[in-house]
Order: sequence, then structure tokens, then C-alpha cells
Amino acid sequence: MPESRTRVPVPRPGACSRALAGWLAALALAACGGEARDPLGSADGRRILRVAYEREVDVLNAFTSQMLVDIHFSMVEGLVTTDENNRYVPVLAREIPTLENGLIVENPDGTLQMTWRLHEDVRWHDGEPFTSEDVCFTWRFVTSENSQTYNRDWYLGILECAEPDDHTVVFTWDGPRGYYAGLFEAILPEHVLGGMTTQEIVDYTPYNRGDELVGTGPFRFAEWRAGEYIRVVRNEDYWRGPDRPAIDEIVWSFIPDSNTRLNAMQAGQHHYARLEPTQVEEVRGQEGYETHLISSNTFMHFDLGLNTERAEALFSDRSVRRALFHAIDRDAIADQLMEGTVRVAETPINPTSPYHAPDVVASRYDPELAARLLDEAGWARGPDGVRVKDGRRFAFTMLNRAGTADRIAIAQVIQAQLKAVGVEVDFRTLESAAWTQTWRSFDWEAVVSAWFLPADPSFTGLYSCGGPNNMTRFCSPELDEVMRASDRHIAFEARKPLLDEAQRLLAEDARMLPIYYNVIPEMVSDRVVGYRGSGTNFGSFWNLWAWELR
Amino acid sequence: MTRYVVRRLLQMIPLLLGITVLLFAVIQAAPGGPEAALLQQDRFIDPAAIEAYRERLGVDQPVPVQYVRWLGGVVRGDLGISFSTTRPVSEMILERLPATLELMGASFLIAAVLAFLLGVTSAIRQYSWFDHLGTGLSFLGIAMPVFWFALLLQLLFAVRLGWLPVSGRSTVGVESLADHLLHLILPATVLSFRYVAGWSRYLRSSMLEVLRTDYVRTARAKGLPERVVVWRHALRNAVIPVVSVMALNLAGLFSGAVITETIFSWPGIGRMFVTAMFARDYPLLMGILLLGSTMVVFFNLVADIVYGALDPRIRYE
Repeated sequence: MPESRTRVPVPRPGACSRALAGWLAALALAACGGEARDPLGSADGRRILRVAYEREVDVLNAFTSQMLVDIHFSMVEGLVTTDENNRYVPVLAREIPTLENGLIVENPDGTLQMTWRLHEDVRWHDGEPFTSEDVCFTWRFVTSENSQTYNRDWYLGILECAEPDDHTVVFTWDGPRGYYAGLFEAILPEHVLGGMTTQEIVDYTPYNRGDELVGTGPFRFAEWRAGEYIRVVRNEDYWRGPDRPAIDEIVWSFIPDSNTRLNAMQAGQHHYARLEPTQVEEVRGQEGYETHLISSNTFMHFDLGLNTERAEALFSDRSVRRALFHAIDRDAIADQLMEGTVRVAETPINPTSPYHAPDVVASRYDPELAARLLDEAGWARGPDGVRVKDGRRFAFTMLNRAGTADRIAIAQVIQAQLKAVGVEVDFRTLESAAWTQTWRSFDWEAVVSAWFLPADPSFTGLYSCGGPNNMTRFCSPELDEVMRASDRHIAFEARKPLLDEAQRLLAEDARMLPIYYNVIPEMVSDRVVGYRGSGTNFGSFWNLWAWELR
Repeated sequence: MTRYVVRRLLQMIPLLLGITVLLFAVIQAAPGGPEAALLQQDRFIDPAAIEAYRERLGVDQPVPVQYVRWLGGVVRGDLGISFSTTRPVSEMILERLPATLELMGASFLIAAVLAFLLGVTSAIRQYSWFDHLGTGLSFLGIAMPVFWFALLLQLLFAVRLGWLPVSGRSTVGVESLADHLLHLILPATVLSFRYVAGWSRYLRSSMLEVLRTDYVRTARAKGLPERVVVWRHALRNAVIPVVSVMALNLAGLFSGAVITETIFSWPGIGRMFVTAMFARDYPLLMGILLLGSTMVVFFNLVADIVYGALDPRIRYE
């Protein structure tokens, strides 16, 4: 065998090292080419904002897109947006109608007359004037049967849309609806999409892809390279004046992997990126950047459901549910698991919202109390440590969504802490789409999940009896009444006490344990001026027109 | 030979038809539907919107009806419309194909050159330090998780040294070949590592076998230079088993590399496939899978033909 070793000389000695040398030469070339350039600058002095964006969008129609609409909002505007304090700010509307300013009038038959006055001299990107006709057209599109708008039901309260003149829109509502101000986050151009059926608009590729996308926003569509980026350029004819926007171009690069996004930011290649809470420590103190912890309207929670016979037997007793929640240490989850970036949640409404009830406490960590409550309810420790009552073990299954590392980690903490008080939890982990189906078809007992609430604080759809997004089968007529009443008021003063009461009742009912308000760490270059952030469904790019680049 | 190729091409039709039936069934059997896309962002939703969505996409129809509809389209050259982007599937695939071919082609080329040098040299210097090093590196290449290696290279060459871009296919606004190649270096290196490791192992063992055969000894006895013996006489036979492995990998060229593309934000088909899978975008999934399986079948045929060219003893009737 050593024959070949001793007798055969090496053919083409050094061939491997030559290949290696070639590769190194390529790297060296890269070194020369790369260092001279400022990755955040541009060759011709144009001010380009570079965003490392976490996903590629599907379509550019803000109503049929299933993505967060940051990119859309750079080109398309609506009647309103929200600021960093979760408050509505008018955009295409001159002001937001309220009872006080007289733009909302209650009719004797219980309906409402709501007048939106629009800015004049606003033009679409193609030069056509923006008018009240566009607003009513948008309303007709959203409320038509196949528009697929996720919150279409909220628009159905508008019975009629009238256009007394080009810059005034009058809605007739079927009654007071608290969430009225959060609608019309975008307006569609009637002169482009007007002649089409709803189906045709949904499928209309030139608008969906950007080629015929006209908006009134500070930037206009320039280019979409599939899988790479979307580029928008300055709208020279923007209605806020010739100085706005102060940025020439925005490049939204699609970087789906969060570690790659982190690396790209550490290499200084972008102005802005959203990171994971667990990455914050790593970028702390990086020169030229600041990381803002944006409190999102998303709240993580531990839900119990009455969907199986077993779950009903376990969770129907409120004091048992309360015992389970007392066994869970949410501070530990927030401080250790999430590295102190998040804030423990007590109610669904984010503390940045004026509707948040600060004195509501969902539960306190007290494992001894938990054990006592379970003892009192007749659940005694069995021989294997798991509690038993009438021959039934206190054991249930938690539904987990694969790929959501944070949620699975929380589920594991909950599993361990419940085990300590004699409750057995096993996991059923499903891939995302399968998880969604199982969850929506009421085929689960407990779950760690999150809800992303819009700017409006209403949570009726999540917790009302048979509510469209209540997958728990829990039902409390008392809570229902208060939640529904809160939706039927427009004035803050009238709505606030009702929502406070609803938050208190929800905590008392102990069907759901809020864990924490999600935090979105946003890493922003010091060169960006005007960034203010926002954790609502309008996102942090709501005031792009005011951003500047140093 | 021509008749053989024609016959094999005709045989591909029923085979592919069977494959599509299977793929369609498997995709549809996976729990969850395209409405998952509507619910990815944890926002609450009007249930009527979910129904309208399913109805528009036609997924409320029985699966056989959906399959026949899809097949009818494919026969006419229409792969359907993507659920999530409302664009023709064929257009989306064609758009991503250049990036995929570029990345896969580059890594294939790097891998082929390195694997041949490594495999042959290891074989002729069996048990030398070079061979041991090659073996060690190969096992490392096979065992190392791609995502970890990729992030490591990013950290070193892009973040610490600043020589290379972290991700993407080009710098926006810069249209130069050099910029393009700079973006290609890291993903192509990561991707080729795996192939180098695998192929060089195959080649090494196959080469060791051939080097001990009688005809190689005869060639040496004739006084042929060692270079000619190894590279012309021995390698030609040693390469045959490696060709079939390479041909199958070549088919994978068109399906992209999921992890590498995702980590380097490379706009290839692999990344699109993953997105389509999570969104249950059936037409797009079927389009990509059809392309992938056609290529596997096709490159199997290519491998068989290459056998004939490499080894005159193999004849096709």
C-alpha cells in the first residue's frame, strides 16, 4: 500500500496553494476596493437613507398587503397616522374630527355625521389632484366583499360616504365607534384604480409591484429588485413644501436573517435596522449608532382555552386559573430570558397609550399561594408529584409554534414553574401554518402567543363571547358588556373609564396572563435626524417626511 | 445513441407526471393553508377576510380539482399565479434564476477545482500529512453547520476586517462587475465548502482503487510520465462514480441553497422557496419543485451520457 506513497511524485506541485493564493488575492482585491468608500454615503453626494429591512413585502397595496406597511407609508399616505406616544396625528386630513371641534355630530336617529376636511393642493405622484373622491373610493374598495382587508369589519360601520366638495368628506356612521380615528391608514388613487372591480384591483400587478403605484407621500416608487431591495426617490412636488422631504432616496434592503442584519449594522452598512431584544447587549455602545427600545403594541401572553373536555375540567374554576398564574414568575422571564429589555405587561393596552390602566395587576408571583389555592380547590399532590382530583391528573398540553424561539423559551419557563406546584405540561410543537390552523380551529388547551394591537385600544374582538378572534371559548357577559360599551363611545373622557374597567375585569377573570409588552430594538445611525419611533401598526417610519441625514 | 436519448426523454414525461401528483398531494397534506400568510404578524383579523382570501385562491375546492386545474395550466405553459404576490409564478422563478445560477455555478466551479486537486493529491500521497489534513478538513466541511460558518466569515471579513460586504448581491446604485464579485465571494465560499468536502472524499477513494489496477501499472511500465499516468489514465476512470454525484448536485443548482441564500440575503430561488412554504403559496411551491425535479431527472440522463463519453466500454442501445 505504501507503494503509491513512495513512488509517485506529486503532479503539478503547488496547484492547491495556487488556488488558495487566487482566493486570497480576491480577498485582497476586496480589501482595496472596500475601505475607501463610506458605506452610508453616496458617490454623487445624494442623501440616501439605507434601511436593513427584515422581510421582502408581498404587494404594495397597503390594504391587501399582509406585511407591516413601513415601505408603503413612504409613498402612500392616509388620513391619519400615530406618533411615538400612540396618539393619532392627521396627515391628509387637516384635523381629526371630534365632538368638541364640531366635526362629529350625533343625529337624532343614533347615527353619526363625521366630517373630514382634507388638505388642499395635495397631488398624486402623477400630478393629478387628491380629492374627497379618492377617500370615498377607498371606502368602497375596503368594504366590498373581496377586498381582503384584515380589519374590513371596522369599516362596515360607515353607511355612506359623501363628497360635498373636493376637500371635504362626510361619513355617516351607524353609531359611535371608538376606533373611527385609526381607519384610512392609506388612500387609493381613484383615477388609477377607479374603473376596476375589487378582484381586479387586488390582482392588479402594475399597482402591486409599484410601476403604477401613485401615492401622495414624500417618496415615489423607483425600483423593486426581487429578493434584493425596493428603492424610492424624493417626491419633488410634495405638498408639505419644497424643503420636504430632506432625503433624496431610501433603499430598503431585504435582510431576513436577524444575525445578518446585526452583522450588517456592525459593519456600518445601513442607517436603520430592527434587531432582536437578545441582540441589544451586543450593539450597546457601538459608535455612530443608538439603539432605541420601542415599546410595541404587541403583547406576549399565556392563554388558557376551554377547547377540550380536559381543559374545561381543569380551567373552568377561576381560582385554579389564578393559582396557575401565581406560579409563573414573569419578572424572571422579562429580566433573565429577555435580558431586561422588555416590560412586564398587566393589560393588553400598551403603557404608551393614554387608555392604559396603570393600577391593574394581572397576577403576582407567589408559588406558595398557588399551591394553597390548588389544595383548596381539591387538587392534592399525587404519588408522582402531579396533582390529582377525582382521578384526574392536572396535566395539559401547550401548543407551540416552531421557529419562535422567544415563545418556546417562555413556554419552557412556564412548564418548569408549573411543575414546581404539581402541574404537568407537555408540548405540542407545530410549524407556523399548521400551528395557525390548529389554533384557529379551537384544537388546543394552552398557548404562549402574542397579539399586535392596532393604535386603537379596543380589545373586544379578542375577549368577547364568540368574538372573531377569541379562540379560547371563555365568555364573561359582564366583561362583554363593558367592552362593547367602550366601543360605542367616541370621547376620550367617556371611553377611558370603560376601558379601565374592562382591563380590570379581564385581569380578574384570569383567563389570560399578560407576560410582557414586546420591545422592538431599533438601531439608528446618529446621522439620522428626526427619527421618533412608534410601536403601533403605523410603525416608526410614520414621520419620514421630517427625517434628515447629516 | 440519439434513439436512446429520445427514448429517455419520452420516459421523463410519465415520470414527471407521477412526481407532480405526489408533490401536489404532499404539499396539500401539510396542515394549514395559505391563510397562514394573513396571520403571520399576530394582528387580529376579520374572519370574513380569511374566507374571501381562500375563495379567491380557489383552495376551497377539492384537491383533485385543484390539481387538474394546475396541470391544465402547466400543459399550456402556465405555472399559475402566486398567492402572495399575485404575479405569474414563471416570471418570479425566471427573475430569481440568474442569481441562483450565479451563486451555485460559482460555488460549483470552486468546489470542482478544489475537490479534484484535493482528491487526487490525497490519493497519490496516501497517509501523508497532506492526506491527513485533507481528510480532517473534509470532515470539518461536512460536519460544520452552514449557518455558523457563514456568520463566522461575515464577522471576520465584513465586520472585523471590513473587506467584504455582509450580504446582498450588489451595492445599490453601483453597477460594476468588481462590486458584484465582491458580494459573491462569501456565499460562494460557504457553499462550495460542503461540495469540496464530499467530492474530494469520493474522488480519493475511487482514485486509490484505480491506481492499483493493472492498466495503470502497464502505463507506468511503458515509461509514461507520472503526470500523464495520473491525470490522463487513472483520473478518467476514477472520475466516473464522482460524476453521478456531481450530476445530482448539479440538478440542485436550480433549486438554490436555502440557508446560504437566507443568511447572505442572496435573491435566489432557495429563499423564495422557504417564504413560499411558510405562506403555503401552493402555485409557487409547485413551480419551484417542478423545476427542481425536472432538473434531477434531466441531469441523471446527462450523467448517463457522460459515462459513455468517459468510458468507451459503456454503450447505449
